[in-house]
Amino acid sequence: MPATSVPFHIVKRLALAPRVWRVALAAIWLAAAAAGLWMLWRYDNTPGEAARAPEQWPALATMARASDRPTLVMLAHPHCTCTRASLGELAETIARARTSPRTYVLFMAPARFEKDWEKTDLWQTAAALPGATVVRDDDGRMAQQFGAVTSGQVLLYDAGGALIFSGGITGARAHAGDNVGRQSLVALLNREPAIQRGSKVFGCSLFDRGI
Amino acid sequence: MATGSSTPTAPATAPTRADALFGEYERDIYRRTDRLFAWLMALQWIAGILFALWVSPLAWSGTVSTVHVHVWAAVVLGGIVCLFPAILAVVQPGEPSTRYTIAVAQMLMSALLIHLTGGRIETHFHVFGSLAFLAFYRDWRVLIPATVVVALDHMLRGIFWPQSVYGVLVTSHWRWVEHAAWVVFEDIFLIVSCRRSSAEMRERAERTAALEQEVRTRQQAENDARSLAALTSAVGLALTKPTDLDRMLQGCADALVADLDEGLARIWTLSESGEMLELRASGGTYPVADGAQSRVRVGSSTIGAIAVTRKPVLTNSRRADASPVDSNQAPADGIVAFAGYPLLVDSKLVGVMAIVSRRDFSTAALESMAAVADAVAVGVERKRAEAELARHARHLEAAHDTQRKNAQQLAALVEELRVAHKRAEAATRAKSDFLASMSHELRTPLNAIILYSELLQELADDQDQRSFIVDLQRIQSAGKHLLELINGILDLSKIEAGKMTVALETFEIREMIDELLDTVEPLVKKNDNTLTLTCGVGVDAMTADLTKTRQILLNLLSNAAKFTRGGAIDLDVQRCEIDGRAAIAFTVRDTGVGMTPEQTAKVFDPFTQADVTTARKYGGTGLGLALVSRFCRLMGGQVTAESQPGVGSRFVVRLPVAVVSETTETAVLSRDSAA
Repeated sequence: MPATSVPFHIVKRLALAPRVWRVALAAIWLAAAAAGLWMLWRYDNTPGEAARAPEQWPALATMARASDRPTLVMLAHPHCTCTRASLGELAETIARARTSPRTYVLFMAPARFEKDWEKTDLWQTAAALPGATVVRDDDGRMAQQFGAVTSGQVLLYDAGGALIFSGGITGARAHAGDNVGRQSLVALLNREPAIQRGSKVFGCSLFDRGI
Repeated sequence: MATGSSTPTAPATAPTRADALFGEYERDIYRRTDRLFAWLMALQWIAGILFALWVSPLAWSGTVSTVHVHVWAAVVLGGIVCLFPAILAVVQPGEPSTRYTIAVAQMLMSALLIHLTGGRIETHFHVFGSLAFLAFYRDWRVLIPATVVVALDHMLRGIFWPQSVYGVLVTSHWRWVEHAAWVVFEDIFLIVSCRRSSAEMRERAERTAALEQEVRTRQQAENDARSLAALTSAVGLALTKPTDLDRMLQGCADALVADLDEGLARIWTLSESGEMLELRASGGTYPVADGAQSRVRVGSSTIGAIAVTRKPVLTNSRRADASPVDSNQAPADGIVAFAGYPLLVDSKLVGVMAIVSRRDFSTAALESMAAVADAVAVGVERKRAEAELARHARHLEAAHDTQRKNAQQLAALVEELRVAHKRAEAATRAKSDFLASMSHELRTPLNAIILYSELLQELADDQDQRSFIVDLQRIQSAGKHLLELINGILDLSKIEAGKMTVALETFEIREMIDELLDTVEPLVKKNDNTLTLTCGVGVDAMTADLTKTRQILLNLLSNAAKFTRGGAIDLDVQRCEIDGRAAIAFTVRDTGVGMTPEQTAKVFDPFTQADVTTARKYGGTGLGLALVSRFCRLMGGQVTAESQPGVGSRFVVRLPVAVVSETTETAVLSRDSAA
């Protein structure tokens, strides 16, 4: 592509710029790229609001809690792309757990939206998880019962109905891979000492509170 | 002017051209790879945007959605990373800064991709693929900033957020070294590949340069051959044109400079004295053939020195002085080459040829000019030879004209003579016939007159009428004289008519002489002369016509007696040779009045005497010596006369001892007649 065909006169000036200006431009470019990467990193590593989950299985919960094993509940936004990583980590968790928990994945579905708005690829992915039950959470009422506000929030109740874990199972937004939340969850399911009983949640907000 | 020879400057060397070609190849590769990366950057940017739109187009907050941050990141951050190097690739392709920026940008794209995929190990292949792509530049230095960016990215993120690059929560802070080492591992292969590729490229450049050099060499050789052919043709044409020396040399000079860049060619020829060189032709920039160089003394200046040393003087690749060629008008600026040649033909100097030029003479040009110098030398010599030949031809032509005119005149004269001779022969024959017949007719009455006068004398004497006797004696004397004259004329006529024959007989010479002396004795004594006879050894017999031999000696002795008064007359007879044959020499010597050379030369002509007064003073018919000469020739002999006025005369008659037959005599007479 010949230089003369470039429509931007700034480009021509760039071509004619002295060496120092070109070095300065390169430095600015490099700084801008680094800044952009840093901002992206910061965004990806900014967790959502943590859940204020009840310590005991909510009595108003419509799902049945297992009494012989732990019950795991994930609250998700059907259109949150970050949750795809969370579902992947959930599958990894179930696979690694020696004791398979009763698992519910609740997808928030506003009642005013059209039918099957919640039936996204995430729904299909969740439905494919072994032993998992996918539940439509109309207007997020169950999420409110469980005090969750961020998609990807995982709650684990033991057979007695006591909350033993509350947090996210990804290390950052949409980032699959090892993370503290998943490791702790697997340890709890395997009746091993957990690193911690909670972790940061990375995902979209379940409710209209800004992204 | 410095003299000497030098090799013409060679064109740009092959290694220099190879470097230039190698640089061109490199720049071409840099530009092409820059363009590829420009497209790749744009493609990556667009692909990133599309991918973001596909994977995470929206960010949700409950029921509210907005454009996902990743989409903005793909648009803005991807644009920042991709567009700047893409623009550089477009506006300044091939620059080192462009490809270094592209290398950094490509690694930033890898970092971004690895980040977005959560450090998936598969995504790291983007790094290796990008490095391999950067190796397209065949500039291993490009890999350095790329590797540095990768290492820094892994180091910083490994420290602060290992999961984004390694996919694990916790790892060693030095894990980036392992990743960097793998990158360096690939770099090693890529660097080796780049260097090999570069080496191959250099080899190709060197081959191409060598090929170009060979092509140039061949083209130069072809050009030289064409120039040589043109020069040879032009010089050959000038040398063979039918023109004079100056025009021929001018043609050669013009032909010489036709192939030179603002060159000047001049030709001098050696003067006839061999001391001066005369400018005969000048071609090129300063064609005026005058000034100080119009006549150069042999031995002075460079031109004169060439004539002395007879060796070429060549100056090339340096600032040359034009003064040897034209001291007044040719400026020295720009003249870098001088070539002077002696014009030699078989080691003979005929002139000097000199050429100056504003550019170096190639080896082929010098060889061509040397060949031209030889040809010009031959041409000069040929022209001189032609001039000499023409001069001789003119002289020959003139001589030929004269000869032709003379031949024509001679032919006319011969024709006239032939006609005159024929007329004379006819007249002679007519005269001889007339004289023979007339003599016969005259002798009859004369004999009667003489006889009757004698009878009348006797009668007068008897009758004692003595007064008539004197008159009768006069009549008788006149008659005898007339008869003698007629006899002589008759003999002469016979000889000239070819009718005279010789009657050969063998006789004793002494006897013949003794009888002869008795006959002439009265004549000798009449003028108080003495006669002496001398006979040599071997003078005895001879075979000849006795009558004619006696007549010869009688005529000589009677002449001697007649023209000598109170003197001595000698007759000497000796043996001698005529053309190798035995002969007898009769020498009659007197101390008489003698003759002048003119008279001596004509003494054997008929009717010729010393002068008109001789006949009156001494008498005679003027036929005696003429008959002597003819009788001698009739018998194969000869007679010569020597005389001095007042001293005397000497006549020598040589006759063969044995005169040959009549046929030979006839032949001798025929020759005489033809002469």
